[in-house]
Amino acid sequence: MNVPEDLRYSSDHEWAQLDGSRARVGITDYAQDALGDVVFVELPEVGSPIEAGASVGEVESTKSVSDIYAPLSGTVVQVNDALGESPELLNDDPYGDGWIMVVEVADESQFDALLDPVAYRALTED
Amino acid sequence: MSELRQSPLGDRHRDQGAKMVPFGGWEMPLHYEDGTLAEHRRCRRDAVVFDVSHLGTVRVDGAGAYELLQRTLTNDLTKIEPGRAQYTHLLDADDASVADDIIVWWLAPDQFDVMPNASNTDGVTSAFAAGDCSVVDVTADRAILAVQGPNAVEKFAAVHPDAAGVGRFRVGTFQWEGVEIRVAGTGYTGEPGVECAVPRAAASALWEAVVAADIGPAGLGARDTLRLEAGLPLHGNELGPGITPLQAGLGWVVGWDKPTFRGRPALAAEREAGITRRLRGLRVDGRRPPRHGQVVLRDGEPVGQVSSGNFSPMLEQGIALAFVEPTVAVGDHLQIDQRGTRAEAEVVSLPFWPPTD
Repeated sequence: MNVPEDLRYSSDHEWAQLDGSRARVGITDYAQDALGDVVFVELPEVGSPIEAGASVGEVESTKSVSDIYAPLSGTVVQVNDALGESPELLNDDPYGDGWIMVVEVADESQFDALLDPVAYRALTED
Repeated sequence: MSELRQSPLGDRHRDQGAKMVPFGGWEMPLHYEDGTLAEHRRCRRDAVVFDVSHLGTVRVDGAGAYELLQRTLTNDLTKIEPGRAQYTHLLDADDASVADDIIVWWLAPDQFDVMPNASNTDGVTSAFAAGDCSVVDVTADRAILAVQGPNAVEKFAAVHPDAAGVGRFRVGTFQWEGVEIRVAGTGYTGEPGVECAVPRAAASALWEAVVAADIGPAGLGARDTLRLEAGLPLHGNELGPGITPLQAGLGWVVGWDKPTFRGRPALAAEREAGITRRLRGLRVDGRRPPRHGQVVLRDGEPVGQVSSGNFSPMLEQGIALAFVEPTVAVGDHLQIDQRGTRAEAEVVSLPFWPPTD
């Protein structure tokens, strides 16, 4: 299972990468593998406020539907529109072209409270 | 919880990187490394092999076998002959709901292999309260490989040319590597192909021969999206308790010319009174997959419920089978409530694939 060293993780299997006050967010390799082939992604709206732990969208695969949970509180400033036509990007490149949204983070200390790669890897190996 | 049954091919699946899941009391491959969508498309464009060993095989053998099946199951054996296969139903005696949908392989005048769904095998076996014949569940003795796709017959010919040429809804018995295999021109994908029953001890060798013939493995995920595109019912969704063959749009499975079959009086009463709901195909505007249980609306009013839904890999949009009021017709525009979002959907004739319009 691929768990990049430079990211932080939520227990809901989202990753976040902080750049200044903005965080890029997606689902983990573990999550995409568990979902199977993704066929539809419902993205949050740009400008909408989100709260850590709350559902902000949905990912549907050929076998199930899962919520996307915000790993951080803040405001959505960008979403990955390419997922509309090419949801398989979530499977092919979950940490790259399959990113979901960029969040203007309300409180950067929330980022530090996320799981580091060692802790997240341990979570997925339970 | 009781232990899951293992297919004779379980180790082959793990070797090939399958994701294994519980299904009908068995542990079976959901998909392999390429994933459900790739396996689905390969079946539509080339050829794939499924392990369907979880289907039951009940061997009915003896002088009374024909009479037993003819008076128990809905379809009419006088329409076929030995050497042919037939799709048929076992109904509930009281309300004519479909206890199981079954393929019957008529192997010899007094010998049939009756093939129920995995979880219904015991029920089907007990429905055949022995007449002048033996009724034996031989599921554990064999594996079944389903080779399906436009190139299935041509590619399978490299494994066994005679068995590959068995013909649609025909059944034959052949020798392969010193064992007897039983082969039928049947399937569950809407594509040409064969289903092949092989003794347990030879199952891995046949699987490997099929894979070596450039026929890639496909799992239950693709099997479900393929059957949905082909408009074929799944027991537990489109058939089951409370659902009759007439509601499922499968009146052709009912041999009304026969004096009796289990559930006939209740089914005849429904035919007389008229059905209160009917299975229809819905094409959704957009990719979002409809799901079992979602409400179908017409002008905002509920008219039915989705029985199966998913993303169609060939049409690249959502498709659904749904039980709706009988007034709903092909061409009607409906909505599906997808967890609060209403998706527009059009009623279309089945199958979804290949498209008829």
